Amino acid sequence: MTTVVTIETSTAVAPSRGPRGLVWVMLRVHRWALWFWVLLVAVGAGALLFVHGPGTDAAWSEYRAMGCDSPEVGQACDYSGPAISRLGLANSLGGLLNFVPLLAAAWAGGALIGRELENGTAQLAWAQSVSPARWLAAKLAVPAALLVAGTTLLTLLHRLAWSSAAPLRSIVPWREWYDDDIFLANGTLATAHALLGLAVGALAGLLLRRALPALAAAAVGLLVLTQALGSLRPYLWPVETLTQKGMYPPYTGMVLDDGALTSTGARVEDPLCINDTKCLADHDIVGFYRDYHPSSHFWPLQLVETGIVLAVVALAVLAAFRLLRRRTGAAV
Amino acid sequence: MVEYRIDRRSGVATYVQIVQQTKQALRLGLLEPGDKLPTAREVVEATAINPNTVLKAYRELEREGLVEARRGLGTFVRRGLNTAPADSPLRTELEAWAVRAREAGLERDDVDALFTSVLDTHFKGDES
Amino acid sequence: MTETAIEAAALGKRFGRRRKRALDGCAFQLPAGRICAVVGPNGAGKSTLLSLAAGLLHPSDGTITVLGQAPAAAREQVAYVAQDKPLHPQLTVADTLRFGRELNQRRWDDRVAERIVAEGDLDPDAKIRTLSGGQRTRVALALALGKRPELLLLDEPMADLDPLARHQLMATLMADAAERGTTVVMSSHVVAELEGACDHLLLLGAGRVRLAGPLDDLLAAHRLVTGRADAGLDPHTVVESRTTGRQLTALVRPEGPLDDTWQSTVPTLEELVLAHLRAPEAPALRLDSVPEAAV
Repeated sequence: MTTVVTIETSTAVAPSRGPRGLVWVMLRVHRWALWFWVLLVAVGAGALLFVHGPGTDAAWSEYRAMGCDSPEVGQACDYSGPAISRLGLANSLGGLLNFVPLLAAAWAGGALIGRELENGTAQLAWAQSVSPARWLAAKLAVPAALLVAGTTLLTLLHRLAWSSAAPLRSIVPWREWYDDDIFLANGTLATAHALLGLAVGALAGLLLRRALPALAAAAVGLLVLTQALGSLRPYLWPVETLTQKGMYPPYTGMVLDDGALTSTGARVEDPLCINDTKCLADHDIVGFYRDYHPSSHFWPLQLVETGIVLAVVALAVLAAFRLLRRRTGAAV
Repeated sequence: MVEYRIDRRSGVATYVQIVQQTKQALRLGLLEPGDKLPTAREVVEATAINPNTVLKAYRELEREGLVEARRGLGTFVRRGLNTAPADSPLRTELEAWAVRAREAGLERDDVDALFTSVLDTHFKGDES
Repeated sequence: MTETAIEAAALGKRFGRRRKRALDGCAFQLPAGRICAVVGPNGAGKSTLLSLAAGLLHPSDGTITVLGQAPAAAREQVAYVAQDKPLHPQLTVADTLRFGRELNQRRWDDRVAERIVAEGDLDPDAKIRTLSGGQRTRVALALALGKRPELLLLDEPMADLDPLARHQLMATLMADAAERGTTVVMSSHVVAELEGACDHLLLLGAGRVRLAGPLDDLLAAHRLVTGRADAGLDPHTVVESRTTGRQLTALVRPEGPLDDTWQSTVPTLEELVLAHLRAPEAPALRLDSVPEAAV
């Protein structure tokens, strides 16, 4: 016969400080993802601070030491050196921000939701005193808060680094404000895209209920969505137009379209006459135009696109909750 | 205290086994009036049987007047079971019968079958 | 006790539009305080039924109420252990118990959970992924019992346990039921492991209820009979019969007294279940809908 020993362990109810309930569970279960995120933000922030301070200073002194700033050398100076390469490397580390949405999508589809549905740990949570809806709310809210905090910090640092490197940009080939990654990292879009990754990942996880397929679907889905949204970007705010007689106006800002103008002001395709005046006259070309976004359009474009992305996030989250509700039939 | 040993393959209902084993303990003097039977929890913790079975067995013993449940305290033995003493006339008769059976050439199994069949006839309807 | 732990009416569940129903028109009633065995072949719908009762799935048809409420509303009072005992592999045993405490803040009892873990000699700092199947089952049960449920749903709880662990855990379960009157529902396709522990039976076959009711009543409603093959068994309901030479062995539901020419015994749980499994066409029998007589 078995002897059953009854051990009366007097556990004082743990003086629980710190997070409780689902928040504790989230932070504990996804501890490694949390550490990874902290590390990623730390590396990105370090790189951007380096760009902001010592990196740019070192690049300037290197520039002067090579005599590139002396009038004799002037434009002919082919400036490249170790300091500027380091600066470039640090800058691209700061650009890690651009991979955050993809990482968030893959993680949310795979580890956050898909794996839990696949191995039954989601059902384990719902079998406690926690409804599936509250579970999903915590699954989304805790990572969302951490993503917003991290991406906001990185965005602010990126703006700082971007502004301090402005004089340098006039000398060395540098990125423009409207380049996809710069545009994202300098505004609210980085945060919005990170949330989009989270929402798309969660939805994929709930739909597919398996870790690997959900990871892949979330990554592909996010890439398609961000591509589609990115291709809309130029049309989110009215463009400005430059015109000039006889030749193209200067190339500036985010150029969308250019071409030739006839005497009636109609826009026609450039017949590629170059400087052949007879050719121009034959085609009745009197000038040229360029449609573009000046850098002052940065914030309007940024905010309109952020709004659209957040609307998509809201739709994905709503779909996720509805899907979960339909499957479990659970009241909140 | 008594320890129950449940044989799941015997075909005898579990609660009957508990009743029988309790009576056996009473006959053998392992349980005496005033003794406390194990609680249902103690029994099921040792035997992994259904607690309602234990309660059913105890109710049966109570119905027979062998034990009484005292609320909040447990189940206690009320009276012992008198058995035929070793030198009773019944036993003597049985001994003589067994000797005759053996002389008649019956094997142990034959005697067993015969005995059971007679028991079945005369104690039909009695439980256990 | 007349309180009802689980009541199902016309309960059905279908996964996907085109697949066969996992459950179809199930109706049964389980009084509180019972230890109920849910038995049936693989694919009979046992796991689906338990998931529905645990509020993890939504029924396609019909209703199921648990402790008088919708399963989703009864979540706090119900514990459920799934067949493959899912736990977070990266958590330690102690963290897994804390998981239970954090997610059941109003009901959790540390002593109960820790006692079950301690009885299995488990190191609280061991990671779940390092545990054997039996040890994982123990932790999963600690999580379920630590919640102090009124209804405990166990899907194939003993499947990967050695005989000693099986006995220990069944004893733990029964002790909890004895102490707190917990209703326990456990599914199994191994009938032997339920014998002695269960007092209520729900036999499922192909998504339907075959037998439902108190075990004693169900056994008493059947007789295992042997006799000459040419003798008739009318008017009794024959569940299953087999002929060997001149001898006929059958499991019947007697409608009135049995003829003296038949040798009859009350079947064991295993005989009752096996006969029904071998005869999937036998009519269903429900003895659970009768209002309980006053005790």
